Amino acid sequence: MTALNWQKELSREGHRVVFSGQPFTMHCHHYNMNLQKTLEDTLGEEGVQLLFQSAEESNYNIFRHLIDQYNQIKTTKSKLEMAATLFQYCGMGVIHFQTTGPSGGRIVSPSSHHVTGWLAKYGRRHTPGCHFTRGWIAGIMATTYNRPLGEYIVEETSCKMMREPECVFNVTTHKT
Amino acid sequence: MTIDGNKIIHAVMEGSRIREAKGIIPLFGVYLSIFSTQYYNRLSFDFEIKMGKSRTAESESLLIQAAQECGYATFHGIRNSWEWEKIVQPMIENKEDQIEGFIAVAVAFGWGDLEVKKLVPDEKLVIRVGDSYEASGYLDRYDPAGSGKCYMLRGVAGAFMDLIYGEDYPDGCFAFTAEEPFCRAKGDVYCEFIARKSSG
Repeated sequence: MTALNWQKELSREGHRVVFSGQPFTMHCHHYNMNLQKTLEDTLGEEGVQLLFQSAEESNYNIFRHLIDQYNQIKTTKSKLEMAATLFQYCGMGVIHFQTTGPSGGRIVSPSSHHVTGWLAKYGRRHTPGCHFTRGWIAGIMATTYNRPLGEYIVEETSCKMMREPECVFNVTTHKT
Repeated sequence: MTIDGNKIIHAVMEGSRIREAKGIIPLFGVYLSIFSTQYYNRLSFDFEIKMGKSRTAESESLLIQAAQECGYATFHGIRNSWEWEKIVQPMIENKEDQIEGFIAVAVAFGWGDLEVKKLVPDEKLVIRVGDSYEASGYLDRYDPAGSGKCYMLRGVAGAFMDLIYGEDYPDGCFAFTAEEPFCRAKGDVYCEFIARKSSG
């Protein structure tokens, strides 16, 4: 069971929303999906990379900070449990780190904010679209296994935005 | 009756702690996510950089449009939600009060300390923000800008007027356009947004 204390961590400093002392904000699916579509339509693969890297970098910083705060979280298993809880508490959905190690792994998401939001707003896609979640996973993996940003490649081999049963992410490193 | 922003902030903070079994936060008629401002700022400002200096006007316009369309859909959903009906509607006496309700929700979402400075019905809205997360994020990462950088708030300011004075949803989006004459990202003391009827 993860020790993440959401009630304590998510708070306000006046008009600011803070999570564990870091500036956070709330946005709904309309904004998140429209930003993604704008980047994909305008910049193509470069836009997809920007979505990935922005999620990777910010989540790396968030999770690194959390791990430092919760020094009782020591094992890989407990770190990944905390990551899954964080994903859910942030309203991002449900994620399972099925098989992971320093060299990569397989991660499954049966539901997510981005899938629900994309389908509600734009309907079915013909290509995988969980770029945010891919980057989010890369940030978690780098933190958990003490690797630098940019270490992990996360491919989405099955995507619910394409009406597949679940989103499946295959993680490898640039070295493998 | 004055809009009680604290009541709205409390409702958002409480609601944001409730998620369904699928890990989704349905609140005020939308699916809510809670994430780092760093993510949104990097997306916007690196998007501008990748578009290049020759396409600055286009990238600004795309980011503002994305925010205005979303603000329009988001706050339409919000004002038709049961939470709005229960918490905000009892405080609303005229349609101008809806703007104050929208502003309180935006503050609750952590977008900044938004304050209505002036509202001329069907004509002009002036919103001042002393601490927009976009301006703060810009200054954290870059040198002072030459122009306003709060694209999300600029789009949203237009969307607020669209919803109150534009044609009925969904035909009223972009009836108003907002400018940001003052922005902390370019050295001003605060950010200010002025929404007026779109020309043409």
